[in-house]
Amino acid sequence: MSSFVQKMRSFQRNFSVSPFPLLPLQLPSPLETHVWFVMPDEFKSVSLLNQYMELLSPCEKENVLSMRGDQLQKRALLARTLVRTTIARYQINNHVVDPRSLKFKRNVHGKPQLEWESDDGQCPSPLHFNISHTSSLIACGVTVNSPIGIDVEEKQRKIKNDILAFARRYFSLHEVEHLSAISDSEVQRQEFVKLWTLKEAYVKALGRGFSAAPFKTFTIRIKNATERGFDCSDYLESGASEVVVESSDHPVSLTNNWKFGLFELASSHYAAICTEKEKTSDDGMSAPMRLTVWKTIPFVEDECISGTEAVVPIAGLIKQF
Amino acid sequence: MASVSATCLRFQPLCSQSNKTNQAAGLKLVSVGWGKSTGFPSLTASRFRVSCAAKPETVEKVINIVRKQLALTPETVLTNETEFVELGADSLDTVEIVMTLEEEFDINVEEENSQNVSTVQEVADMIEELVQKKAAGGS
Repeated sequence: MSSFVQKMRSFQRNFSVSPFPLLPLQLPSPLETHVWFVMPDEFKSVSLLNQYMELLSPCEKENVLSMRGDQLQKRALLARTLVRTTIARYQINNHVVDPRSLKFKRNVHGKPQLEWESDDGQCPSPLHFNISHTSSLIACGVTVNSPIGIDVEEKQRKIKNDILAFARRYFSLHEVEHLSAISDSEVQRQEFVKLWTLKEAYVKALGRGFSAAPFKTFTIRIKNATERGFDCSDYLESGASEVVVESSDHPVSLTNNWKFGLFELASSHYAAICTEKEKTSDDGMSAPMRLTVWKTIPFVEDECISGTEAVVPIAGLIKQF
Repeated sequence: MASVSATCLRFQPLCSQSNKTNQAAGLKLVSVGWGKSTGFPSLTASRFRVSCAAKPETVEKVINIVRKQLALTPETVLTNETEFVELGADSLDTVEIVMTLEEEFDINVEEENSQNVSTVQEVADMIEELVQKKAAGGS
């Protein structure tokens, strides 16, 4: 048995847990995207991790314990904790729910979703979420009334295969051309990682994932503001670019529905988010992604980091709050 | 990127011994992929007609490629039954592994199959089948 589990079991015997209350959160408005993240290295207290374990369902616990090694177990535990505590705090019907009471299901492609029983038993939950993790960061994006996909990658992530060979195998023609045109191999690697996160965020927002939305079937481009001819004065920080997705497989009416935000997170990661455009927008410019980002230690503290150097927009129309 | 979720059910492969070869075509490897795969695991049962279970050398090669891709420490135990998600593989890892395997074995794995395999054994079996098909003049 891993030492992590041993430590936790011995604490369980001596420790009567009464979780600190979770502070409530205002639901995001329909135009807002909230991102909550944890950094596993910041979690060293065994008693705190023990509290988190108590929030999980029996299946989730079993899943955590099946991970090979302390670090992976901790990561799995924190991922479920982040999801449960974050969602529980959003006041639906004006109260914080017990994170243990939340139920999850998966769509036909396996995307996790909140299972929600409204009073009339009919309406699905207004809250949408999606998570992504690396070994050093786990992020959870939350929206209301819009599907969301989020992907994070370490900026330094090394690709084991040859980048262009990989791109030719999995990416679209235009994307291969874009990457091929980059002569500096480090810049090329960075652009590859950014492109990967955007493509992942898209297929996760679609709810289909990589298997059901092969990366070759769509192209993601970053268009400069000047190409679109709109006023950039509001978006000084983002360099005013728009990220668009195009697909020969899907009609324009489908791909037009999505907006993207790509930013540097905590100086260490690229984060890409994809959400649905608001229904009122026409083919012209959509409203920017209204983004708020918090770093959290569930039950202990939240730190709002949007608008600081910990969140640096790279592409897409992002407005931080 | 990997989502951690509960697996409450997992059917054991009918034949997981890598040293068995030439299984009858009637054997079905039914694996319920949900909850135990990277990215979005497919909810549909992935059925592989195991016409020939993977040779030990194939399993060995897969293990080595996975070890390298995930930079596993030597202490990390990795057997043919190990699930990739238990090793912390995310979707980029999985795709990189599949690509390396394609190059190593000179085969082509369709995207819809690349996440229907969740253990080393399943990957090895899939490879063996693709290699066989290719040798027989198939796709």
